[in-house]
Amino acid sequence: MKLAVVVQRYGPSINGGAELHARYVAERLARHAEVDVLTTCATDYVTWQDTLEPGVEQVNGVNVRRFRVGRERSPDEFSRCSERVFRQTHSVADELAWLDAEGPTSPALVRYLARRSREYDHCVLFSYRYYHAYHGARAAPEKAVLVPTAERDPAIGLSIFGPIFRGVRAIMFNSPEERAMIRAVAGIADDQPSVVVGVGSEVPAVTDPERFRRKFGLHEPFAVYVGRVDANKGCGELFDFFGSYLREGAGALTLVLIGQSVLDIPAHPRIRHLGFLDDRDKFDAIAGAELLIMPSYFESLSMVALEAWALGRPVLANGRCDVLKGQCIRSSAGLYYDGRLEFIETLRALERNRWLAATLGRNGRQFFREHYTWSVIERKYLEMFDRLSRAPVARVMERTAGWFERRRPICPPSSEVVASLPAGPSIAPPASPPDARATEPSPRSASGPPDPHSVSRSAGGHSRFRRGQHRSRRGGGSSASTRTQ
Amino acid sequence: MSDFNVRSDSVNVEHIMEQVRSRIREKRGIDYTEDQIREMATVKLEKFLDSRAVRSDLLEEFRRAHGTLQPTKFPNYSFEEQTLFESTRAPVRWIRRLLLPVLKLFFNPNPLIRALHTQSTLNTMNRERDVARHGIDQLHYELLHNLVVETTRMGIDLRNLQMRVESLASRLEFNERRARALESVVVYRPPSETADTELAPEVSPAADATPGRPLESPGRLEEGPGQRSRRRRRRRGRRGGPSAAAIMGGHAPQGDAAQPTAPSEQGASTREGSTAPAETTPQPPFPPEQ
Repeated sequence: MKLAVVVQRYGPSINGGAELHARYVAERLARHAEVDVLTTCATDYVTWQDTLEPGVEQVNGVNVRRFRVGRERSPDEFSRCSERVFRQTHSVADELAWLDAEGPTSPALVRYLARRSREYDHCVLFSYRYYHAYHGARAAPEKAVLVPTAERDPAIGLSIFGPIFRGVRAIMFNSPEERAMIRAVAGIADDQPSVVVGVGSEVPAVTDPERFRRKFGLHEPFAVYVGRVDANKGCGELFDFFGSYLREGAGALTLVLIGQSVLDIPAHPRIRHLGFLDDRDKFDAIAGAELLIMPSYFESLSMVALEAWALGRPVLANGRCDVLKGQCIRSSAGLYYDGRLEFIETLRALERNRWLAATLGRNGRQFFREHYTWSVIERKYLEMFDRLSRAPVARVMERTAGWFERRRPICPPSSEVVASLPAGPSIAPPASPPDARATEPSPRSASGPPDPHSVSRSAGGHSRFRRGQHRSRRGGGSSASTRTQ
Repeated sequence: MSDFNVRSDSVNVEHIMEQVRSRIREKRGIDYTEDQIREMATVKLEKFLDSRAVRSDLLEEFRRAHGTLQPTKFPNYSFEEQTLFESTRAPVRWIRRLLLPVLKLFFNPNPLIRALHTQSTLNTMNRERDVARHGIDQLHYELLHNLVVETTRMGIDLRNLQMRVESLASRLEFNERRARALESVVVYRPPSETADTELAPEVSPAADATPGRPLESPGRLEEGPGQRSRRRRRRRGRRGGPSAAAIMGGHAPQGDAAQPTAPSEQGASTREGSTAPAETTPQPPFPPEQ
């Protein structure tokens, strides 16, 4: 079997979520098939400037073929196009202009894929929103397997992506929330192969938290955040809430931040920024932390949360992120907050109630072991490839609108489209069977673990979506009738 | 937050979150999100504010009024002396200029020209003022909007604080009652009595060896308030007159220790027996009964 993995950037030093995801998957699939990575020469996701040489190279035993980016991104133009398609009624041509402005515009990569797709059994395209995925899927629709890595942002509401979601051969989702969102926005047919996979992580078997504490002089209990320190990641809110936690004297935790910062960090002795750390320090830090905090509003799948669970640490997530909230509920391995007071109380609960923290951590370890170890991930990919190889191509990619049709301003603002999508964590298993068929264990995996995302928390008690996520808390909900004190 | 009642290994995160929220409600009243506050500020303001002062539809009213004050979009015109006689075609312009003296024989166009010129200038000024006014209105709107939101927030905070004050007052009252109750059960024991108590286990076994009488409970302070008041009544009886038992035809107080008593009074009577020889010692000053 020969596979093409198509991604916007690729390299050992590139740590973007989707890019790391693609690298992990490519390296793992390389154990079962011949894998070619098709990518650009860019390393900077803002400008897409060509910094690497075009051509073929080996990265961790995987063939990587790089193509030049046709033009760099102009932030002004991209901002103007985004404003038009996200906020105003616009045309398909506007959306295509937005896609070109976003980049990485690499016609050479698309031409190569169109010309050579027959050499590959399957083309795994990462990140639906970029140029390479859109045009790559149109260049080789009968081979395209899409890993959307979609978040709940306005881009998902653009009309040009609907035909892509409907036209690829299969979709590998990161979470049930992502699947529900894409199904709602694109109207995917029930018989389209898809499966919720996610990604594994290389978590060391042994960690040394004491070494980390000694190295950084951390002798007090701490909560850790790992990722870019950025307002878009919810870090501003995190600082605000943690400041309240400190002012109230609610606990003794220190907040440790790991990652590059593009945001001013409050100067406080109990907020420590350690900058970018290598994997060893990172895993030791997570293992030594009381908990991991994930303040992000939008996540397709938080690899850091999975790593924390793999190391048996509980997670405190932002409840406004449907994916993280759903993961916490399904795994029973984390709490979530929606507002300052909930942040303080949940943080205090995890800090003071050792039993609760330990149980959540244990559940997280179990959740990771059952659903996110590489053997499970690889099995799902291979089963999907096997299924696609046996099944005939059932659909064709819808054609792009004609010249006049493309210029008719009939597309609603994508932010309005996204706002109308159902929200909330996906708790219960989907009602329709096709995905179950996709994830249905084959005879050789019949004894394998169940689908992680089909775990029903209560027998028929939940709808697929929690539409009442934003319900007023004045209503009260059930009180803690079982409180002991 | 150690009071979560999570007892099984199958942790239900949603249940824990319910407990967290109910705890927040108990401790701090209701926590509203920013969106909820805005919603309440625009929709249900009257529920949270003093209706005498603020109208719930204030923002809507302002929006409506603001909508009628949009700057005019009609283009203004310029009116100069030659405007009446202008034309895009040069011959026409030439003929009009040629015939102007003839026209002036019929009427004087100059006042008309001056009036329209003045009107044009007024229009321009008015438009500029409208634009400035529009900016000020925007500021007013923002100010009013923020004022209403903040007032709503303060109303909610006030209500939460009232709840907290009520909660604290009830706790304080409870603690005061508890303190009074505890004060009422504190027994002042002089050092001699303490020594007696310490010696009691060595002395009393002989007296307690009576068959059929249970041993005295080692913790004297564990006696209940009922026993203590009964003992007090007996002492009062000894000091001030015959005891109730004597009135009822019973024995003298000295004989109390030797008499079998009801099981509930055995502890007290045993102590009375053990301290009977020290009858003449001053009685401890009991605090006044609450």
